[in-house]
Amino acid sequence: MSTQSSSGPAGFSLGALARRPETGTVIGLLVVYTFFAVLGGPVFMGAPGWSSWLNIAAEVGIIALPVGLLMISGEFDMSVGAVVPASSMMTAMLAGHYGLPAMIAICGGLGVGLLVGFVNGLIITRTTIPSLIATIGMMFAVMGLTLGFAVLIKGSTSVSYVPDPLTKSLLGQFINGMFSVSILWWAGFVAAYFWFLHISPIGNWVFALGGEKESARNAGVPTNKLTIGLFMMSGFSAAFVGVAQVMTYQQAQVAGGQSFIFNSIMCVVIGGVLLTGGAGSVVGIVLGTMTFTIVNQGIFFASLDPNIGSIIIGVLLLVAVLSNDTFRALALSYATRKK
Amino acid sequence: MTRNFKVLAVSAIAALMASSAFAADIFVIGGKPDDPFWSRVKKGAEDAGLVAQAQGGSVTWLGPQNYDNLGPDAAELIRQAIDQGADAIVGPDWVPEAMDPEFEAVVAAGIPLVIYNAGGIEAADRLGAMNYVGAVDYKSGYAGGEYLGKAGHLNGACVNTLPGAANIEAFCNGFNDGLAAAGGTGSVLQLPATAFGDSTAVAQAVRAHLIQNPDIDALFAIGDQDTNASISGIQQAGKTGSVHVCGMNFNDSILANIQQGTQACAIDQQGYQQGFFAVSILNNNVMYGTTIPTREILTGPGVIDSNNVDLVIEGVKAGAR
Repeated sequence: MSTQSSSGPAGFSLGALARRPETGTVIGLLVVYTFFAVLGGPVFMGAPGWSSWLNIAAEVGIIALPVGLLMISGEFDMSVGAVVPASSMMTAMLAGHYGLPAMIAICGGLGVGLLVGFVNGLIITRTTIPSLIATIGMMFAVMGLTLGFAVLIKGSTSVSYVPDPLTKSLLGQFINGMFSVSILWWAGFVAAYFWFLHISPIGNWVFALGGEKESARNAGVPTNKLTIGLFMMSGFSAAFVGVAQVMTYQQAQVAGGQSFIFNSIMCVVIGGVLLTGGAGSVVGIVLGTMTFTIVNQGIFFASLDPNIGSIIIGVLLLVAVLSNDTFRALALSYATRKK
Repeated sequence: MTRNFKVLAVSAIAALMASSAFAADIFVIGGKPDDPFWSRVKKGAEDAGLVAQAQGGSVTWLGPQNYDNLGPDAAELIRQAIDQGADAIVGPDWVPEAMDPEFEAVVAAGIPLVIYNAGGIEAADRLGAMNYVGAVDYKSGYAGGEYLGKAGHLNGACVNTLPGAANIEAFCNGFNDGLAAAGGTGSVLQLPATAFGDSTAVAQAVRAHLIQNPDIDALFAIGDQDTNASISGIQQAGKTGSVHVCGMNFNDSILANIQQGTQACAIDQQGYQQGFFAVSILNNNVMYGTTIPTREILTGPGVIDSNNVDLVIEGVKAGAR
């Protein structure tokens, strides 16, 4: 593509690398890790500590990636919180209640996510409703449908399902009894999204969409298709986490999952994605996710009051936004000086 | 003058309503309708409501959207029930500080009130409610602590995923006291409120706590989802068989856990009974003026362990539990 997006990390050079927005996130990550390593001791620095926060990071991280991409393109997705329980309920219902093969149940669960994402995208591209409001509406609708169908079909709000060994080992196993296989899936998702955003030509379209939607459309970017596609990605990723949870805990509940909404946004913002769109990176989102979950889990190893963890996360969020602005200003001033 | 007239008019209408053929519109304040435990309470309330419906009355369920702001949200629901012209109200006294003023308003308005699920007979007496229907949270926790303590698991922790709610605090206090009565010691693992309903967060917190405190051999969880998550946390800490769990409430997977031996016991407060009896007492009172002189209708705790789990499973199949 010949579109030259002025914002975003388009120009690569060593000087620019040092001034990338992620620099702030890396510093934050190191400070937070050191803090809890000192308090948590060798257990936190050993395998139990790493697996503890990586297991959480994998789940929220898989959702944070597309949520971050959407934010870069200037949109929010609040419906992920409802897609997680909806897809796990669909999977458990198909496999546990109707006794269908695991593969079909998994496809059904993932299909729920894709469908919700598609509808989200349609609403946002066909109407003028802001994505924040549209996806909140979608969240409540999906929550209601999940509850309604669960009670209608099963007469209960939880469905249990014992997966076969192969499915369990692919989606719900703990390697060494500690590390969730979701961590490997997360790594796969990171690679895929990195390629999509930073290597494939479509990546630039995402930045262009968040920077200036009208100009992007005029420059030939299929903005509507791209927006719908991004929402389907986030629906799919949230559904993936829902399916993995069924295989891990052998049970689906209609409630739960709401924590993913704010947690994923927090990971993304700590990771340096600009709330108004146009700037951010996959590496930043991954670093932000790690920082967020280290605080979340470090609290239990440091034997601190969990409420202190919430305070740290709150402060971290504010510091992250402030420092990202500073680093971004630095990066931009550097770029202009070069010209 | 006008004020006197108003009072007169109101009492005249009240007298008219009391004497005429009359149906009870009963409002029930409870948990989220998608909460597995509360869906059973709701079913009990609705089943008892069939009688009220046959007599031309109704049962309306009012539940919060989420538990983030439990006290004020539930207080608001009580206010809504009064405003919508309830003939009788059932409600749990989860957060007395926030909810008591609204319950007092119910009694002041002359609306029959039954406290259920949380608060105990003390709350009913304090507020002037007709009765209390429910398990005593403290006794439920106590039963769990006593059970594990007597089995020789003396170092316990109560996993509190909803700090600040009075009934959850009572579970944990009861658990620790029950354990102490058997010669053990207990503590509380407090989770941030954002972890509620997130199995992975609860499992990882439990696991980290067990690794940091290797002496712990007994856990108490406040709900069935938390119990499953705690069992996963124990497995991931490599402590299956050495850390034993009792948890509040049960479902299919909990019963399977008890059969397999990965869970020591489940404490059942029989939520169906809570909804059923609270609504029945009020409906009969509004319709016929009857009362239940027995104060404090206990619906629990009932302990489910490997000895009676098969019977309970039969009960589930029959739709009785």
